[in-house]
Amino acid sequence: MRVLVVFAHPVETSFQAALHQRVVDALAAAGHDIDDCDLYREGFNPVLSRDERLNYHDLTRNRDPVAPYVDRVLAADALVLVYPVWNFGFPAIMKGFFDRVFLPGVSFRMQDGKVVPALHNIRKLSAVATYGGAWWRAFLVGDPPRKCVTRVLRAVVKPGAPIGYLAHYDMNRSTADSRARFLDRVTTAMHAF
Amino acid sequence: MKALVIYSHPCPESYNAALRDTVVSSLESTGYEVRLLDLYAMGFDPVMSAEERRLYHEQGINEEPVDAHLDHLFWCDTLVFVYPTWWFGLPAMLKGWLERVFIPHRTFRVPTATETMEGRLQHVSKIAVITTCGATWWLSKMIGEPGRKTLLRGIRALCAPRCKTLYMAHYKMDTSTPESRRTYLGKVQKRLASF
Repeated sequence: MRVLVVFAHPVETSFQAALHQRVVDALAAAGHDIDDCDLYREGFNPVLSRDERLNYHDLTRNRDPVAPYVDRVLAADALVLVYPVWNFGFPAIMKGFFDRVFLPGVSFRMQDGKVVPALHNIRKLSAVATYGGAWWRAFLVGDPPRKCVTRVLRAVVKPGAPIGYLAHYDMNRSTADSRARFLDRVTTAMHAF
Repeated sequence: MKALVIYSHPCPESYNAALRDTVVSSLESTGYEVRLLDLYAMGFDPVMSAEERRLYHEQGINEEPVDAHLDHLFWCDTLVFVYPTWWFGLPAMLKGWLERVFIPHRTFRVPTATETMEGRLQHVSKIAVITTCGATWWLSKMIGEPGRKTLLRGIRALCAPRCKTLYMAHYKMDTSTPESRRTYLGKVQKRLASF
């Protein structure tokens, strides 16, 4: 499968960077064709501009500012997101990827004022996330980033597509051991992707 | 009563701008002193840089890039967020404001082996969210309102223990009418008058 990996962390020496590398290597070893989208390295601008907002529903123009990203999303068969949870959400750079690229005519279409999901080329979806806070805290807050994947994105991609969500909670109190175990878990999941 | 209004929409002519104006004037007539942060107008950069991330846990140093924003945050006792809900969440601009300004030590204590997380915005006793949603009420509920939860549970956990919250949304914006929009503005005004 052609897998679009979307990664959001600025520091090359971070645990997230290690996770990203592991995801890419394991998917490649499993024989997938990978499009590696490192949002920070590519200097992605997450801010939806006034012009973009004004042309948002104009299907002839709305893709123009982000055309290469739209092409990459539409060329993919699967999507893997790799991100740290910051302040109980996606990092802004990743949230902006959805704001700007998941446009009408790309991931959904409008029909009589209603949204009809349309990103049916994505047949598989997975997320690899790290949380600063403990599992129970994320649970009490309602785990917004998990809902963005398992509910919002689930509704947009091909109906019935398998969805994986791998998370290392409590990073502030993580150990070399817990991180190594999580890397192994991610590797296993990506080998079987 | 000091309210910090954080507003995030790219179009000065948008309905959200009208909401912002109603919010500010309602708060002022209720007796609040108001400061407005218009994130788009001020050209706020929502992307946490590599340098900032490297220094994220360095007490004091991590405050420098967002000094002025921290001053506003510690000046107010009320936070009011005005934004359009995009993909059931906050616009990237607003999300980035949270991650760059709500930093360790100053706004919360990082949990350790012996200590739990502790919020350090005990002076904030009210948070309001005034938003617009393309989706219907029931779809927003089914999805679980991630944007609402990021603010009214995630950020609220750093504030005073009994921090009061208010959430208002105009749903189905794509089929809204001048009447529905006017009605919502009226409701916002009314609710803020008793906030």
